[in-house]
Amino acid sequence: MLTRWNNGWNDFDDVFSAMSELRERMDRVFDEAFGGRFWDQPLPFSAATWPRANLVDAGSNLILTAEVPGLSEKDVQLTLNQDVLTIRGERNVQAPEGYTVHRQERSAVKFSRSFALPCRVDAERTSATVKNGILTVMLEKAAEAKARQIAVKSAN
Amino acid sequence: MSRQAVQMKTQPRSLVGSERRPTVAPACDVYENDEEILVIADVPGVTSDSLTINLEKSELTIAARRDVSKDQPFVTKEYRDCDFQRRFAVPGGIEEDKISADLKDGVLSVHLPKSEALKPRQIAVRAG
Repeated sequence: MLTRWNNGWNDFDDVFSAMSELRERMDRVFDEAFGGRFWDQPLPFSAATWPRANLVDAGSNLILTAEVPGLSEKDVQLTLNQDVLTIRGERNVQAPEGYTVHRQERSAVKFSRSFALPCRVDAERTSATVKNGILTVMLEKAAEAKARQIAVKSAN
Repeated sequence: MSRQAVQMKTQPRSLVGSERRPTVAPACDVYENDEEILVIADVPGVTSDSLTINLEKSELTIAARRDVSKDQPFVTKEYRDCDFQRRFAVPGGIEEDKISADLKDGVLSVHLPKSEALKPRQIAVRAG
């Protein structure tokens, strides 16, 4: 790789290809260290990343899912303000009565996370469920945000 | 270096690697009282049929498979399908037949009852 640099800086293509190679090499370092590209790895649990969420655009609606282990539907509050969805909640983690603690990794969190949705949604037709520690919010897109078929007529 | 070779190098990398299922260690709490050892793990999205709990040679293994996402058009993706796995060394004297586990709201609790030999005993002191 070094020999190519001696061709001089005038050839921008060479410089960029060297940068690209450097990036690929760094990717490989992360591959080896983390067993995959490191941004593919799940983020560690902490108050800053709680809850981790996925957003799916399913055509006529948006589906937001989030990991909320230990929470039931009454522990989660949802607010929709125009196209901003906010999830709030709190999880208490306490040692059960009379038990000594050997290890405590599950953190107690109080979280509030807002999502800017990619389009307007119909607040009246939004529903949410919590099942197996996963929160699912179904958001129906507003009429103006839905894709519409436009009929093509002949000019005659 | 020929132009052809440069072209090859600057092409985006294959995304095949990102399809691998990661194995994740779930966050766990371990508690103990006179009667039992209690292990609690966060396994959001796991159902009881995809969960295995194994005690072998004083090693407790919790393994669970999570399939929550299908092939959907994701806008953002912060978590995905994965295999949860965690191992613990447990002391001898656990009543293996009486181990019980329950799964609620994505939180797994495993109760490991202690055998009589491990439980603390009160020793009465008699006056001589």
